[in-house]
Amino acid sequence: MKKEILTFRTVTYTYHTADGEITAIDNLTFSIGEGEFVAMIGPSGCGKSTILSLAAGLLSPSAGDVVCNGTVGYMLQRDELFPWRTIEKNIRLPLEIKKQDTTDHRVKAKALAVKYGLGEFLQSYPSRLSGGMRQRAALIRTLASDPDVLLLDEPFSALDYQTRLNVTQDVSSIIRREKKTALLITHDISEAISLADRVIVLTGRPAHISHMHEMDFGEIDPLKRRENRAFSKWFEILWKELNG
Amino acid sequence: MKHERNLKAAYSAEHALFLKKRRRRQTLIRLLRVGLLALLLAMWELVTALGWADSFLTSSPSRIIKTLLSLYRDGTLFYHIGVTLWETLAGFAIAVAAGCSIALLLWWSDTLQRVLEPYIVILNALPKIAMGPLIIIWFGTGSRAIVFMAVLVGIIIVIMHMLSAFLAADRNKVLLLRSMGAGKGQILIKLVLPSSLAAFISTLKIAVGMSWIGSIMGEYIVSKAGLGYLIVYGGQVFKIDLVMTATCILCVLAAGMYFLIVLLEKILVKNKED
Repeated sequence: MKKEILTFRTVTYTYHTADGEITAIDNLTFSIGEGEFVAMIGPSGCGKSTILSLAAGLLSPSAGDVVCNGTVGYMLQRDELFPWRTIEKNIRLPLEIKKQDTTDHRVKAKALAVKYGLGEFLQSYPSRLSGGMRQRAALIRTLASDPDVLLLDEPFSALDYQTRLNVTQDVSSIIRREKKTALLITHDISEAISLADRVIVLTGRPAHISHMHEMDFGEIDPLKRRENRAFSKWFEILWKELNG
Repeated sequence: MKHERNLKAAYSAEHALFLKKRRRRQTLIRLLRVGLLALLLAMWELVTALGWADSFLTSSPSRIIKTLLSLYRDGTLFYHIGVTLWETLAGFAIAVAAGCSIALLLWWSDTLQRVLEPYIVILNALPKIAMGPLIIIWFGTGSRAIVFMAVLVGIIIVIMHMLSAFLAADRNKVLLLRSMGAGKGQILIKLVLPSSLAAFISTLKIAVGMSWIGSIMGEYIVSKAGLGYLIVYGGQVFKIDLVMTATCILCVLAAGMYFLIVLLEKILVKNKED
């Protein structure tokens, strides 16, 4: 058994507003082991983002426990690069926030950017980069503080189809090469199949787990997975479960 | 601009023509602007010189220049300009500094913001001139009263503009910073302040206008010197030349301050983009 990095134990979360209360998540239990890539799919508005906020410690559960053995890095739908900072300074942002802005950490973050093809853009402002490159910069920023688990909140959904396939490929290979643990939430079934080691299917609100599957592709990258015969099999299964 | 010039050699003939046309049009617009002013002044002068209008009532450019020279000769020109300029600048600086600080406090404390909201709305709607008698009683008849008036006119709008700029900081970027473990102070310094720069510049532009309104209004109510004083005094003794001269000086000063801010904007924005 691998070391567990992130564990949800019978987690329930309820939002309170003036109009009443909404239970977003109901009795959710799962865990993610070190180096594992887990994707969660569910109908839109089912409380997927709430799960990430709980994992990141931005919200506390109404009941149950969230245990995270390590630090988290959050990646959002849009790159959220700060337009007044150069790419290098954007990537350095988590270091500044976490008071780790030492020469050592800076050099590491910069090396990571260079390694993944952002070297020539380090002194550029985000507006000069394409959507795909910006999202890659956002990933490098997330990795700069060397988090133990990556929380990916539909990080490809704002990109056009062509770019999305490329960036998915990109992000997948970077995360696997850096041996990171990741939790991806998405409503895109094929994205989940092509990226994850394990796919968790959530029900509509209040969200709880309806199914869980290990993906049996082995070590092949997202585009190759899409060509694999098992891909359409999984797509059919997940489609039925999501709409069942 | 430098960029543009470097690349010029590579442009096609069509693009060169486009640039040439664009430059010509810009020159034409500048000429027309100056021309319009010259035309208006010339007509003003002509109409009074020909006796179609009574220059005692309308003054005229030549009489304004004469008045300007006589003010300069008796040494009061720069005295009056200095008094008003000082009052306006002091009012402007205090309104911007205090207004931004208060906006910051309101951003920091949601409770304070909710509590003070109706007070700010009412103070904003209140015609500040209604405070005239109170200001005289509290601050006397010197420059302090006028500076206070300038602050009063400007500060509310500064608070409202800057607060809405602070609150408009991107929610997702706040979420991102919080996920990195950022506290409120870090969110302020890394995100809220830098993203409010454009709003700050536009607030400065508005505040300049407001502090001029405040200082001249203040001088109307109570003053012994300044451009507003010259206008009121000129009106009372029916010296239209003096009224017109002071008004013209005001136009030049207000425009000058506005352009200084535009210059500041260019410097700040340039540093951010290049």
